[in-house]
Amino acid sequence: MAASSSSALWTAHHHLFLRPSNTTHRRRPVPPSAAVRPLAASLVATAPVAAATRRTAAEEAVYEVVMRQAALVEEAAAPTRRRWAEDAVAGWGLLADAYDRCGEVCAEYAKTFYLGTQLMTAERRKAVWAIYVWCRRTDELVDGPNSSYITPKALDRWEKRLEDLFEGRPYDMYDAALSDTVSKFPVDIQPFKDMIEGMRLDLWKSRYRSFDELYLYCYYVAGTVGLMTVPVMGIAPDSKASTESVYNAALALGIANQLTNILRDVGEDSRRGRIYLPLDELAEAGLTEDDIFRGKVTDKWRKFMKGQIHRARLFFDEAEKGVVHLDSASRWPVLASLWLYRQILDAIEANDYDNFTKRAYVNKAKKLLSLPVAYARAAVAS
Amino acid sequence: MSLCLVASPATRAASPSRLVAAVPPPPPWRSRGELHFSVVWGKMRGGASVSAGQRQVVRRCSSAGEPRPAGDGGLSSFCIIEGPETIQDFVQMQSQEIQDNIKSRRNKIFLLMEEVRRLRVQQRIRTSESRGASIEESEMPEIPSSIPFLPNTSPKTMKQLYLTSFSFITGIIFFGGLIAPVLELKLGLGGTSYEDFIRTMHMPFQLSQVDPIVASFSGGAVGVISALMLVEIRNVRQQEKKRCTYCHGTGYLPCARCSASGMLLNTKSFSLSCDKGHNMWSTTERCTNCSGAGKVMCPTCLCTGVAMASEHDPRIDPFD
Repeated sequence: MAASSSSALWTAHHHLFLRPSNTTHRRRPVPPSAAVRPLAASLVATAPVAAATRRTAAEEAVYEVVMRQAALVEEAAAPTRRRWAEDAVAGWGLLADAYDRCGEVCAEYAKTFYLGTQLMTAERRKAVWAIYVWCRRTDELVDGPNSSYITPKALDRWEKRLEDLFEGRPYDMYDAALSDTVSKFPVDIQPFKDMIEGMRLDLWKSRYRSFDELYLYCYYVAGTVGLMTVPVMGIAPDSKASTESVYNAALALGIANQLTNILRDVGEDSRRGRIYLPLDELAEAGLTEDDIFRGKVTDKWRKFMKGQIHRARLFFDEAEKGVVHLDSASRWPVLASLWLYRQILDAIEANDYDNFTKRAYVNKAKKLLSLPVAYARAAVAS
Repeated sequence: MSLCLVASPATRAASPSRLVAAVPPPPPWRSRGELHFSVVWGKMRGGASVSAGQRQVVRRCSSAGEPRPAGDGGLSSFCIIEGPETIQDFVQMQSQEIQDNIKSRRNKIFLLMEEVRRLRVQQRIRTSESRGASIEESEMPEIPSSIPFLPNTSPKTMKQLYLTSFSFITGIIFFGGLIAPVLELKLGLGGTSYEDFIRTMHMPFQLSQVDPIVASFSGGAVGVISALMLVEIRNVRQQEKKRCTYCHGTGYLPCARCSASGMLLNTKSFSLSCDKGHNMWSTTERCTNCSGAGKVMCPTCLCTGVAMASEHDPRIDPFD
């Protein structure tokens, strides 16, 4: 029953990105067996309760966003969105400055990521910087030094500014860079709105009762980033994969990154009174919130962490399958960053699962070593 | 005496709700017991006439002790993030009203800062009581050292610094002026002197006749200049850390609507039946986004320009 409803949701997209597609979508019902199963469904099988093909409410909602973004990419033969045309001549200098500043901010706060962007083409680099700066500014609203002044109304206003910039009316310099980026690449507004929604969650929610709830949160704050950047990275014209599967892989990468963050920062989050682990799974493992606040590594904790790390690795594996379908110039940076982030999970294991007091990080040597290997892997894949 | 400072009589505001709205709601986590604001405010009000706005402010402050979710829509519609419509705030007031409101608010800020200072004193006393003997170390302020590679310094380590520096200077003077010539020390590669070095390099021998005073002056100057450079670089890096990265410490970002010029070009086209040639009429008007300033608030540092928007005021930390 779930499978048939999912096939009803499907629009068959066999036109690929960058190919001049027919203006009308050809809706062909896809037999369920050929349908790409949403990622989480395969993982839900590992959870004790759900059946293999059941999709939870969170996954449905996320899936719909993926579909919409994929559809947008398809119809964007020529960007119909209004370019930032006001004061076009006067704006040129400001735009170049804006992108430069975006790069500076990126270099300041995310050095490894900045190095990764150096592996991309110039246009993509600027676009990714602009997206990064918007995401970071949004995150700093609720997580930064002034977060105590932020109210839901402030987030509403931030969302209004987002809508304005998508319509070509950016408010300040960094908004202008993003506005220019979204006029050049077919990026949908929904992932951005969803990220703001994730920030709204963070204002009040500090516990997650099940993995489903956590999955939605991870989608909001990290999966959206994957959806934002795939139109920038581009899908390889000769790839045989469907657009949705690439988006699903990007989604998986975002979720994997966020889960890794969560697993690395358990101690830090607990000191701020937050637990980003599913409470039902904690209870199943015989752990309580107090155990986390106390911060002692026990055998129960090790067993629990092993399961969590295993699940995060599954997401990484799903993501890796999709990387090879990206545009050839983008494969290397994405693959490298995937590998680097996955190594953090290894570091947690090496710390004997002590994520309360020890910070799991990958040293520079390992980071540098991953680069050429990732290059070889990306070049071989076709 | 200090509490006899009375807030200047606030004018009857045309829109009291707006006035009240401008006081930001207290952060939800701050609730160290009942703060007796109402009592203190009562003293401060003294004989001044109290407008409806002030009374509302008092009511709000007295409930500051209770934890309240941020963004309580009932009391305030204030939003700290600027938007294109914030220039409409307070737009109905007259100029005299605006002046009076500014004055009364500055007074309130002053008085609130004094309260914060006293509360911090109490807080410090409480925490040091509970920590007991560790008062000693916390009273010595930690000054980051401007000498590269050195850890934090303090007035205690200054003595050590004086001692070390003087001994180094005397030692080098003795070494260079007395010991080296006596021992005929040759510090060139492989035990050569400067003369040998010049000769082996096949350079004109006049170069080896360098005057010792000139030589020491040059060496000293190079040393001093590089030392000053290192100190300055380190200073700048430290200041940069405190600075908001997004606005580079200015607190503002260029307005995108008018590209930081403050003016918007409005072109209206119209056609006159007689004049076909010129039918574009352009007027420059003030940019509605930034109201002519050319710049808008930086939402990360909230116009403070620093990475942490706290008040940099000695009243915040009376023991430092």
